[in-house]
Parts: sequence; structure tokens; C-alpha cells
Amino acid sequence: MRLPWPAVVAGLLAALVGGAGLIRGATPQSAAAGPGPSAAPPIVVTNAWLRPPVPPTDSVAVYFTIYNTTGQPDTLESVVSGAGASAGLHYVIDGQMTATTSITVPAKANLALAPATGHVMISGLYGPIVAGQTINLELNFANAGPVDVAAKVIPLLAPAPGTVTTSGATK
Amino acid sequence: MNRLVLTLLAAATVLLAGCSGSHPSAKPSELNDHTGAGPYFGAGLVPPQPRPSFTLTDTAGKAFSFGAQTAGHPTLLYFGYTQCPDVCPETFADVHQALATLPPSMQKQVYVVFVTTDVKHDTATVIKKWLSNFDLGGSATYVGLRGTQAQINAAQAAAHIPLAEDGGQTHSAQLLLYGTDDYARVTFLQSTNEVQAIAHDLPLVAKA
Repeated sequence: MRLPWPAVVAGLLAALVGGAGLIRGATPQSAAAGPGPSAAPPIVVTNAWLRPPVPPTDSVAVYFTIYNTTGQPDTLESVVSGAGASAGLHYVIDGQMTATTSITVPAKANLALAPATGHVMISGLYGPIVAGQTINLELNFANAGPVDVAAKVIPLLAPAPGTVTTSGATK
Repeated sequence: MNRLVLTLLAAATVLLAGCSGSHPSAKPSELNDHTGAGPYFGAGLVPPQPRPSFTLTDTAGKAFSFGAQTAGHPTLLYFGYTQCPDVCPETFADVHQALATLPPSMQKQVYVVFVTTDVKHDTATVIKKWLSNFDLGGSATYVGLRGTQAQINAAQAAAHIPLAEDGGQTHSAQLLLYGTDDYARVTFLQSTNEVQAIAHDLPLVAKA
């Protein structure tokens, strides 16, 4: 299933709205994004998704892509989720998946947390997570401050969003 | 101090994962670059690895002799654990999607074998329930296997897989594919084109 451009744009818009609008009550610096159409938030998060936990698993891995629109590197320092007791960063460092305290996104660059590279692991889930839901994360960046992300729960056996599939694999 | 260094070196040498999976040798992007040996989309194995012989216990409590009972069948072999949050479910979701692209007559030949690396928590019931989430609507035969730590270690060694550590939570992310000639000539690692790679390579090692 190839991502159609309208969906990508919609996702981007949603992330923009999320980045700019959902930081209500957070640090004032987010207001720097401003109301103008040309004001991009410092951090844009797109394509946030996860699969439902597979019983007996009591944790989920959330994937997304971070775009740092600024000219300075920014560092994702912590993650908060209401979906479970704990949320942590896992990233492949030197070939191995490693629990880490921070991930730096280079200036003007994308960083993808994908099944082969890293994820946010939420453990001690408070309740069932089923396809069609969204779960909310707050990503805290050193420079940009908090960024709220709504991650879409895809069906367990659905293709991972953004992956390459053969034409026959599309359902 | 020396002991710490040695421990770190040992950990680095086997390239195992912190929470779930790892990439045993090169980077996955390199391995999935279609530049490997042979016609495969996955990572070519040179030399090919013979189908290993090991006997573990299936989810019905019966002895399962991997080498004998899967002989002659296209077989996907994976070592992981059911509490794994990322690579294991991703890999099995990918296998499901790849199998769905194959004709039912080919699916019927295929064995998908999951061997738990978590001997403490993964009981027969747990493994059976976990696999049932992926074994849906297809004709392939899914097998879940468990055993003592010594048996699991021996099975990994026989399959040329780095031994899992940390109660099985640090394990290889390899998905080995054995063909009807009982050799694995290709292995897969979690990547954005794993479905495509499995769907492409499996028919190459199945009977026409």
C-alpha cells in the first residue's frame, strides 16, 4: 500500500497542527512558531504509528519520523505517554538496539524511528490498545521544548506505513 | 575494570540487542541493497548454511525434530521471544504479508518456525497464543518451539545464530530461509522492504 500524497500532506498538516497547536499550556517558546502560514515549528513529527501489543506482550513500540526544521541540532531528551507506566527511547547504536536517554536530530534533517532503527517503547500498558485508536506522546526536545504526537494504531498484520511493498502485497 | 571491558567487548562482538533484536553483521541497509550474492533480495549467505538438526518441544508438548520434520520444505526460522515489543512482531507481521502474496499451493509447503529465546516465560500456552495472532487466513504451517536453555543454545548454534542473552531478550533479528534443497542461501533482517524481500525470495527456494 503506497502512501498517497494527499495522505502525506494531511499527515504533515496534522503534525504541524499538533506541533503548533497542541502545545497548549506548555513552554512559551512554542508560541515562537507564530500564527503566520510561513512559520514552521522547530520540530515536525510525521508518520507516527504502532501495532497493537501481541498478547502476552505488555508493551508497544511506537515509530515516527522527526524533522528538525531549524539550523541547529536538537535533542530528544525524554518521552511521556499516558498509555503506560513507562516510556523510553530505544535506538540502534553500533548495530545494537540500545535503551538510550537521548537522540539528537541534526539541523535541517530527518531522523526516522523505524522497525530497523529505533522506537519509543511504552511498557506497563494501562489498558487495551486496538487498531484505529491513537495514542498520545509528548516528546521533549532540548531546544524546541515539548511536542505532542498522536500515533495511529494500525492493524497487527497491516503493512508498516511507509514501507516498500510488492504490488501483490497490497490488500 | 578489566572484567567490565571484557564484558563490553563480548557484548560488542556478538552484536546483540538491548531490548529485542540486532543486526548480526553489516548494517541492514547494506544487506538489503540487492547487492548480496545470488538472486536474492534478502542478504545472501555465502557459503549456504545446511538446514540444522535440533530437537525441541512444540506447543503441543511433543518433540519436534526440526531437521527431519521440515526437511524438503521452504522454512522460515526465527529465534525471539513473545514479550518482544518491536522486531519479533514486526517480523511476523512481515512474514504474514509476504506469505499472503504467494499462491496457496506454495503457502502449503512452507513452515514458519519460531523458537523462543525466553525459556523462563514462554510456556507452550504463551507461544501458541502469540503465534495465533499471526497464523491467520493462510495455509503455511506455524510451529512454536521451546526447550531448556541448553537446548535453545544448541539450536541457535546449529543455525549459526549468535546466542541470545539477558533471559532471551537480547537476540538475533535474523529470519533464516531454508529451501527445498535443505540449505539456507538467504537471510532477512528487519527493514522497510522485508515483506518485498521475503515475497521475492521464498518462491526462489520453493518447488516450482
